[in-house]
Amino acid sequence: MFEFSAFSLYDAAFLAIGGVTILGALGVVLFRNIIYSALSLVFTMLGVAAIYFQLNAGFLGAIQILVYAGAISVLIIFAVMLLMNKEARRTNLPTTRTKAWFAGGTITVMMLASIIAAVGFSEWPKTALQGVDNSVGMLAELMLGDYVIAFEAAAILLLVAVIGAIILAKGVENK
Amino acid sequence: MEHLFTNLATALTGWMITLGLSPVWADVILLLVKWIIIITIITLNIIILIWLERKVSAFFQERLGPNRLGPFGIFQTIADAIKLLTKEDIVPSAADKLIFKTAPMFFIVVAVMLYTVIPMGQGMEVINLNIGLLFFISMGSLSTIALLMAGWGSDNKWSLMGAVRSVAQMISYEIPLAFSLLGVVMISGSLNLQDIVAAQDNIWFVILQPIAFLTYFIAATAELNRGPFDMPEAEQELTGGAYTEYTGMRWALFFLAEYTNLVAVSALMATVFLGGWQGPWLPSWLWIIIKTYGVILVFFWVKWTFPRIRMDHLMSFSWKVLVPVSLGNILLTGAGIYFCQWMGWC
Amino acid sequence: MNGQGLIKGLGITLKHFFQKEITEQYPDVMPELATRFRGCLQFEFEKCIACGICVNSCPNNVLSFETEKSENSKKKKLLSYTIDFQYCMFCNLCVEGCPKDCLHFDHDFELSTFSRDDIKRVYLRPAEMDEEKEADAAPVQDEQESKEQKQIDAMLKALQKNPQKILAKMLEQEEDIGILSELMQSNEKTAGKIAELLVKDKEKAAKVAAGFVTKEKKNRLQAEKGGEE
Repeated sequence: MFEFSAFSLYDAAFLAIGGVTILGALGVVLFRNIIYSALSLVFTMLGVAAIYFQLNAGFLGAIQILVYAGAISVLIIFAVMLLMNKEARRTNLPTTRTKAWFAGGTITVMMLASIIAAVGFSEWPKTALQGVDNSVGMLAELMLGDYVIAFEAAAILLLVAVIGAIILAKGVENK
Repeated sequence: MEHLFTNLATALTGWMITLGLSPVWADVILLLVKWIIIITIITLNIIILIWLERKVSAFFQERLGPNRLGPFGIFQTIADAIKLLTKEDIVPSAADKLIFKTAPMFFIVVAVMLYTVIPMGQGMEVINLNIGLLFFISMGSLSTIALLMAGWGSDNKWSLMGAVRSVAQMISYEIPLAFSLLGVVMISGSLNLQDIVAAQDNIWFVILQPIAFLTYFIAATAELNRGPFDMPEAEQELTGGAYTEYTGMRWALFFLAEYTNLVAVSALMATVFLGGWQGPWLPSWLWIIIKTYGVILVFFWVKWTFPRIRMDHLMSFSWKVLVPVSLGNILLTGAGIYFCQWMGWC
Repeated sequence: MNGQGLIKGLGITLKHFFQKEITEQYPDVMPELATRFRGCLQFEFEKCIACGICVNSCPNNVLSFETEKSENSKKKKLLSYTIDFQYCMFCNLCVEGCPKDCLHFDHDFELSTFSRDDIKRVYLRPAEMDEEKEADAAPVQDEQESKEQKQIDAMLKALQKNPQKILAKMLEQEEDIGILSELMQSNEKTAGKIAELLVKDKEKAAKVAAGFVTKEKKNRLQAEKGGEE
């Protein structure tokens, strides 16, 4: 009944997910209400997670949802709520300074150009490899085997950051 | 009986292919059918569950519970549902209307997503995901966003207070929840729920992992915002927490999602610790239902026994007791597995 | 050990789970009330002596009544008795105070009414009470009548036995007495009438007797004239 030789269901799903991601990202920038921006960020992150799932990187997708959409975004929303002292719909206005416009525009154009160039000039060979079945196990072996020192160092770094944050927040008692 | 539903699914796919659909589209339609079935089951299930909770709580308090509508008051929830559907939908004028209206939808969608990976029987799941358990936990963490949206959108101090409480509580208890499941994952060596069920062929994980079972139960109670950890709703102090401003069907959606979460968490508990759909004599899909309802009854029992505890106690219990205990359990499990391999038992 | 209390609590609720429900199925099954349950305050009009102790003992002015003083007796006549139940606090003082036990609480506790006025209950003097008094009075009258009848009978006998002696009290001339006694012997009706009147009203009896005599005299005179003609 349907013939999708060039345009498969997979592509349709990708377009939908990509659309949600880009719309979410645009929302983060364009919404005047910063709470809306923060919630748009959740949708962007969910979209990214969905792309991971589609690329057969389920573990990464789940972690993306768990950490970014579930925890980091909540942290952002909390921070925003704590810092809001203005009317909600005027919290994320575009800047009025021309210098900032110029700087932001330049960075955007440069990044877009580099991404387009990278995509355009790369060769995209088709692999015959199937998606790995046990991506979790392989990840674990890499993280706790080959890169264990980097992994543990990152863990210690985060721990130090947490302790530092607590000290900054509560202060040190002088005895 | 055992293969009733799987056979039905195969027959449906075959029928669609004979109609001229390509196998991919047949799969997509089958997936949609599965979703519709799941949503129907959830809705019907919840009608029964609400009735059951009211009845069980009444029995705990030596009351009769609903007993007017139909035999044993079984139609009471249906009447309530009709009442909620016909109630006026009030959106507070000061509320952030977009967020206020999206929050219940987000909540119920996230709650229904949990059912994607739960094996409802032998070969019966929507998607046989490799990382099913992780997917379940990550989807569960998303409901905090919905509650935060509801609390913020209502523009009401009680709503916001409830939302903040529930977010703090859910994020804190996600850690012991995930850690408690880690012991099971270590033994079974997989995050796939069907594999975990298969690993319980000889012995249920509740016997191998009693500490993880308890930790999971406590953390799940807190994740569900159920009594005795129902501070986010706290009718007495917060007049309903994040749901304070909601009326009619929007409120009903929250209610629905809470019970959906309850069933999902109970089903996961039955799957991970109580042998899933495995069991003698009866078909597998009946076993998972029986076990899930057993776990739900225990949740009811706990809710209607213990009084609500204080918020700071709850938080310190999570960070100072549950997290170390679940970490210790992981250590113990690792040592056990190592010892087992060293002795050559497994 | 920590956590023992939790298990104990679970045990308690489980025990209660299997116990019998204590819910009262009130509209379907009426509750079993204690014998001294204070429901609705009831008043028995017939027993009341209108002493007013209940009104004095009531702390909330629930009770009030109206009386009428009858002319020929000291007894107060109770006309109406009002229980304004909305103020009642079921203290039982009126019931304890009543010397005739005409107030009591019954087991009817469904006291709500559709309007506020309905809760105020007014007991009017039942019509049967007055009727009953008349009915009580009637037999007395009968007795009196029968007594009179006996007297009349006795008088009649006396008249027939010895007319001169009785009639002498009414009539002065002997001739007249003779005429009336003859008349009474010939006509029993006349005798009955005079006997009745003698018992009831002696003056009237004398007049009637005199009337009878003059009438008889006239009759006789006419008879004589006719005889002469």
